[in-house]
Amino acid sequence: MENDELIKSFFEDMRTKDQNLEIPEFPKPKTRSINWIIPVGIAASLFLAGFLFFEKEPVSETPAEVIIITLEEGPNDEQQFKIKESSYLDTWESGTSSLLTEF
Amino acid sequence: MNRTSLQQLLESHHREAYIWARQCCGFDSELAKDVLQLTYLKILEGKAKLNDAAKAKTWLFSIIRYTAVDELRKGGRMLPLAEDHELIDLPEEVDYTDYDAIIKLLPSMQQQVILMVFYHQMTIEQSAEVLQIQLGTARTHYARGKKKLKELILKSQTEANHGK
Repeated sequence: MENDELIKSFFEDMRTKDQNLEIPEFPKPKTRSINWIIPVGIAASLFLAGFLFFEKEPVSETPAEVIIITLEEGPNDEQQFKIKESSYLDTWESGTSSLLTEF
Repeated sequence: MNRTSLQQLLESHHREAYIWARQCCGFDSELAKDVLQLTYLKILEGKAKLNDAAKAKTWLFSIIRYTAVDELRKGGRMLPLAEDHELIDLPEEVDYTDYDAIIKLLPSMQQQVILMVFYHQMTIEQSAEVLQIQLGTARTHYARGKKKLKELILKSQTEANHGK
């Protein structure tokens, strides 16, 4: 026990001396910024992906594929060419069909 | 335990934690500051979890010690853990008031057990938990450390009395 008293006294003196130790301020630890960057990044990616997915694509006008040229008779009995662009043909008449009907 | 509670816990043990960090770092104050900062980060980032709030001090001391061991190893300033030299001869002169120097004359495991028991008022069982060793081993370090420290104290006191 006497031994312990000697040692206890030694540590008592040591603690007294350590009262003069400069203790650093309690740091305000910052967690690494990666912790919040990850969820924010995921959220931004999902938002962007959703935005692109649901965005309506503009309807592009199909280019005219057919040019219909007709020869019609005007009000003064003159012949007129009429040119019309279309993507389809309503009717199609053979160029030589008149031969079948008129002869 | 949430982040705020952990922060309060660390703040309440801050002074003692710093002193223990310094003791684990061979009484190097600057290294102790770094070790403490790293320890707090480990805890607040959830890398070290407290399972039993009643053992908060033991848990904190254990993390500080292991962080200090890592930092000392990085700096090439530490022997492997298993290697624990025995003091053969007492030094020529021992200054009683240089407490840190006297403690440093003990082998590291003995230093730490003795410091935890006598300086930090912990039990030998708690010191065994901090050092992650068997209770019997901790008791051996305690008994040997006490014997050597007594010799050093008596020598320093004798020198002081004879004005050597």
